[in-house]
Amino acid sequence: MQNKKIFMLLFALVFVLATVLSACGGNNNAGNNTKASNAPTEGTTEPTTNGGTSEELVIKMLLLGGKPIDSDTVFGELNKKLKTKINATVQPEFLDWSDWIQKYPLKFAANEDFDIAYTANWAFYNDQALKGGFLELTDELLQKNMPLTWKTMPSVAWEQSKVNGKQYMVPNNKPEVIDKAVIIREDLRKKYNLDPVNSPESFAKYVITIAANEKSINAYNAKPGDGWKWHELDQILLEQNNEWNLVDANFPFAYKLDDVTGKVFNVYDTPEFKELLKYYKDLADNNVWSKNIVNNKNDIWQDMKAGKTASYAHNLGTLSSNLAEMRREKPEVELAIADLTPDKKKIAAISTQNGFAIHATSKKAERALMVIDLLQNDKEIHDLFMYGIAGTHYEAVGDDKFNATTGTANFMGFSNWGANSPLNRKDASYPAEGDAIEAAWQQKVYNFDLETFVFDDTKVKNEVANVGNVMIRYAIPLEYGLIKDLDKGQADLIKQLKAAGIDKLQTELQSQIEAFLASK
Amino acid sequence: MNRHGFWGNVRKNKTLLLMLTPAVLFFILFAYVPMAGIVLAFKQFNYGGGILGSPWNGLDNFRFFFESGNAWIVTRNTALYNIAFIIVNNVLQIAAAILLFEAVGKWFRKLSQTVMFLPYFISWVVVGAIAYNLFNYDVGTLNSILAAIGLERIDIYNTPSYWPFILVLVSAWKALGYGSVMYLAAITGIDTEMYEAAEIDGANVFQRIFHITIPNLYPTIIILVLLAVGNIFRGDFGMFYNMVGNNGLLFSSTDVIDTFVFRSLTTSNEIGLSAAAGFFQSVLGFATILLANYAVRKYDKDRALF
Repeated sequence: MQNKKIFMLLFALVFVLATVLSACGGNNNAGNNTKASNAPTEGTTEPTTNGGTSEELVIKMLLLGGKPIDSDTVFGELNKKLKTKINATVQPEFLDWSDWIQKYPLKFAANEDFDIAYTANWAFYNDQALKGGFLELTDELLQKNMPLTWKTMPSVAWEQSKVNGKQYMVPNNKPEVIDKAVIIREDLRKKYNLDPVNSPESFAKYVITIAANEKSINAYNAKPGDGWKWHELDQILLEQNNEWNLVDANFPFAYKLDDVTGKVFNVYDTPEFKELLKYYKDLADNNVWSKNIVNNKNDIWQDMKAGKTASYAHNLGTLSSNLAEMRREKPEVELAIADLTPDKKKIAAISTQNGFAIHATSKKAERALMVIDLLQNDKEIHDLFMYGIAGTHYEAVGDDKFNATTGTANFMGFSNWGANSPLNRKDASYPAEGDAIEAAWQQKVYNFDLETFVFDDTKVKNEVANVGNVMIRYAIPLEYGLIKDLDKGQADLIKQLKAAGIDKLQTELQSQIEAFLASK
Repeated sequence: MNRHGFWGNVRKNKTLLLMLTPAVLFFILFAYVPMAGIVLAFKQFNYGGGILGSPWNGLDNFRFFFESGNAWIVTRNTALYNIAFIIVNNVLQIAAAILLFEAVGKWFRKLSQTVMFLPYFISWVVVGAIAYNLFNYDVGTLNSILAAIGLERIDIYNTPSYWPFILVLVSAWKALGYGSVMYLAAITGIDTEMYEAAEIDGANVFQRIFHITIPNLYPTIIILVLLAVGNIFRGDFGMFYNMVGNNGLLFSSTDVIDTFVFRSLTTSNEIGLSAAAGFFQSVLGFATILLANYAVRKYDKDRALF
């Protein structure tokens, strides 16, 4: 009896407290909501009533990458200059590479206070733009606050960065080629008298020879367990080699570069993929990569520097700086960059490869745009933001080159690329090989209507989620040669994709592509 | 019926109530208030609308999980793993607690307790790395030993059938110290007169264990098991993700609801879909704990939770 009474009493107490507290919580939520939904309009109207730079403002900026050791010093210098020019200072926040994928969307979901966010087609640009995370940038806003950028940015770059016809990003202004290459141990190639590596076949010969003769070295290495849904050589051997373009890395649809109708097909269901599986299986059976590669968590470049890995694939810029780094630190090891598809068409990076956007709820949108304008197009400020303090973090060579110094490492590794522009300096020690390959690639850049197409997955998000899951579960083991019967593995993959709703996804994708092409 | 009335009771038990307050506050703040977020499971979330203003989309968010064709397999895996963990872990923990209690020598007892407790403090990330170094095919400790004594290497990371055993083993290893402390505390609370009486009657050590210690542990066992049963549809994400990672070959026997949902949603960032999956787990968990409690009540009314 006594027990029951105490229980009832406690229950009453809990109930009362719960009601009171959840009511508070509810009100807070409602408050935030009205603020969030009103804010975009505030952001755009505020400057007209309160324009100019009379009031000193602190602009908060969200950047990706670990905080550089000397960021406080460099941003201190930068802020002195920004203060005299536009009466504003910048306060950067760095999201480390290890967990930015989790943190970045949360910053928006929690509606944290920041004004500028780094964004890119690989860093949630479409996603956040569609979800209302970014402020729409009207031509009027841009012309008024970004005079330098408005003058220098080619109109195609603006066009490429629109989502559903609306501008949400100030893209970077330095077109690159985004095709991939591999880096190999040139000294080992010479040691075994192999032909230069310049095709899928010569690459296979190289890795198989290394695997057979250098027992303590992984001939090829990758980190397939990090959530990426493709074999890391797929971009080279499947896309570049066949002149296809994958619409989105999250599902297996591609179109032929020269197909003006933009007909998409499932790459897993092609003879080319079947052939490639045999190629991969041959490498796997020759122990070119570890049997447990899917559980590998090591940093591949560090493994390569330590002499434990003999090749890996990445984009040209990264491989070139890898090469420069190895020459600086371990001159006795000779590396080479190998383009396995030298004669194929190349795809130019669209402007959304890097860029800055304004947070939808920022109240300092106008000044934030002024800051981006200077970061990208004011020589002095651009140099500071991209390379740090002259003499400490880099040594200027003329107007367009720099030399690395001992301090270089203290201000690098974060996403200042959003400010890439024709003012960029080039590393004077940038390997000539990298330049040569890049020059050759620029000759073969192929422009096509669909290069700026982006898929809006709102209607098929369930299918996208399930298809992605099937790719991790069935395609990755198949591509890394871990499944004995290739035909059965491929059939299973295709069957599972059907079950995951890939046909519905294809219909939706094709209709969006046709609408896009019709509007061109 | 009530002589003192509500406030009379409050006054009478004020010390007890005060002591209870922190725990009550904790659960209100971290369990009851966030519960309102359940509405997200039925909404198409966008930043403009936030939690309350986003448009409703009915049961759309639940479709993803059931249309994937994996709902049954991952739910089954989650439940079976948790049942195995509950049984194996509790049996081992009780056994360890009894052994510690019966062990002679204070020094030995403390030492073994510390050694058993250590794994509890190692993060799953580290355990995952240790496992990889033990089990990997080319340079793993286990395979190096096998090769050295002339046996075939075993390809653990590509063979799903080993993993239920590995996971149960690792879970038991990690939880042993922590769980046995709770049982040890319960054993220490048993009236020593009973043991003395038993000794006088000539009971040997096994009779003491089976007729005094274990029956006296029933209430503790039932409470701990019931609490664990409530979480039977929640996979230990840290454990499964760090031990298995994104190794698709092993998913048939290692994929649980939490890893499945995580993998499906890391690229799409749809808050609504993950809220729906969490809601599904909670509903199943709620149903199980009601059933389990009902079963205990049937068997012995005093020992049920409520």
